[in-house]
Amino acid sequence: MSYCGERGTDILLFLENALTGQRLEDFHAHSAGCSNCRERLQEELALTSLLRETRPLYLAPQALRDRVAAAASAQQAFANSPPSDRSRETRMEKLTRWLRDVTPPVFGWKPLVAMMLVLTLSLVFIPGAVQMVRANNFVEAATEIHQSYLDGNLPLQCRSRSPEVVTDWFAGKTPFHFQLPIPQSVPESKALYWLTGAGLVSYKGNTAALVAYETPTEKISLLVASSKSVAVAGGEELRSAGLTFHYRSGANFEVITWTNHGLAYALVASVTGSPQHSCLVCHQNMANQNLVKH
Amino acid sequence: MTFPGEKRSFLGQVIDEVFDGLYGYAMVLSRDRTDAEDLVQETCMRAVKAIESLEPGSNAKSWLFTILRNIWLNQVRQRRAAPKIVELDVDESTLGMAVESSKDPHALYVSKVERDQVREAIQQLPDEFREIIVLREYEELSYQEIATLLDCPAGTVMSRLGRARSKLRSLLSSTLGLTDRRAKGVLE
Repeated sequence: MSYCGERGTDILLFLENALTGQRLEDFHAHSAGCSNCRERLQEELALTSLLRETRPLYLAPQALRDRVAAAASAQQAFANSPPSDRSRETRMEKLTRWLRDVTPPVFGWKPLVAMMLVLTLSLVFIPGAVQMVRANNFVEAATEIHQSYLDGNLPLQCRSRSPEVVTDWFAGKTPFHFQLPIPQSVPESKALYWLTGAGLVSYKGNTAALVAYETPTEKISLLVASSKSVAVAGGEELRSAGLTFHYRSGANFEVITWTNHGLAYALVASVTGSPQHSCLVCHQNMANQNLVKH
Repeated sequence: MTFPGEKRSFLGQVIDEVFDGLYGYAMVLSRDRTDAEDLVQETCMRAVKAIESLEPGSNAKSWLFTILRNIWLNQVRQRRAAPKIVELDVDESTLGMAVESSKDPHALYVSKVERDQVREAIQQLPDEFREIIVLREYEELSYQEIATLLDCPAGTVMSRLGRARSKLRSLLSSTLGLTDRRAKGVLE
C-alpha cells in the first residue's frame, strides 16, 4: 500500500497528460493489477471532472469590472496629464490627513467652508451608500458648465438665496426629486457661503440641475443629474460619512464628484491654494464640524 | 477593458481574460466579497502603474496573481494587530447561473448546486490548500508558476496539491458520488 501511496504524484501527472515514457508504461502496468490505484484514479477523475464543471468558481460582478476600467482609464488620463497637474497627485492625501487631524479651534473658516459644504450637501441630498461608476464625461460637462456660468454665458434662471425658493423652483422641472438643504440660520454678515440661484442644463439629453453658490472670493457650482446617465469614478478618493468622494484637479478647476440614491453630483470650484479648500463649499454653522472629525 | 498604449492594451486584454479568476482567487483568499473586490481593483491599478516594468514575454497572468497575493499578504500582516471577523459571503445565486446560460434548466440547477458545494468545500480547506486548488485546478497555472508565486519548490506544490485534492475529495464525497459515476463512464 505504501507503494500505491507513492503513486499519488503519478496519478496527478497522468490526469494532466504529463506522464510520459517509461514512467507512463509503469503506471499503466501497475494500475492494471492494482485495484487500489484504479479506484483512486477514478476518484481523482471524478474530482477533476467536478472542478472543471464548476469553472469559473466565481464570476466577478460587472460593477467591479466597470469600476476597474474607469479607475484605470482615469489613472491613464492622469499619467498623460501635464506635470503641473500631476503635482497635485497628493492633494487628496493631504486632504484626508487634514480631515483626520482637524480640530475646530486650529482652523479658520475657509477650510471648513469647503469641507462642510460637501458634507452637508452629500448628507442632506444623498444619505446612504455610494455607487461608483465612470465619470470622465460628467466631470468634463461639470467644468464646462461651470466655465460657462463664470463667463456669463449661462445666466441663472432662478436667483435666490433661499433654499426653499430654489427647491420649489426645481419642482417638476427635473426628472428626479431634488431638495436643497436648509442650513442653520447664520447672520448674513457671518455667512461663509451663500446660495445665489439655480438653473437647468442638459446632460446627455436629460435635464440636470445646476445650483450656484458663492463665497466672498469665488463662485462654486453644483451639477446634479440622475445617476442613470452618469458615471462617477476616478481621481483621488476620500471616504467620509459613508460616502466616497472622487477628487480631481485640472488646470483651472477642482471637481469633486459623488453619487448616491440615484443622483450624481459634481461640485466645481476654482483651483486655490489649500487642498482642503477645494473640498469646500460650505457649511456655515460650526455644528457641522462634527461631520468632518475623524 | 481598453487601456491606451501597446503594453496597456495587452494588459487590458489579459485582465479581461483573467478577471473572474482574479476575483475567484481573491474570494478564496479573503472569503469576503468586499475585500475581494478591493483586492482585484488594487491589483489592476498596481498592474497598470507597473506595466512598463513587465518584461516582454513575461507571464502576465502569473504576474497579476502574484500582485494580488502580495497585496493580500500585506493586508493580512496589517490586520494581525487588529483581527477582524469576516463572514463567508458567497451567496451569488444568480452569478453562477449566468455562466452557463446555454444549459437546460435542470443542468443549470445541478451545476449551480455543485458549484455552491464546491465553493463551500474549498472554503473549508486550510489556507495553503485553498489557494493551490484555485491556482492549479481553476486557473491552470503550471506547477512552476505556482511555485514561483508561492515562493516554494515545485515538488512542494505537487505534494500540497495532492493533499489538498485528497481533503477536497473527502469534503465532496457526497457530491462526487454522482460525478464519480460519470467519470467511470468515461473510463469504460
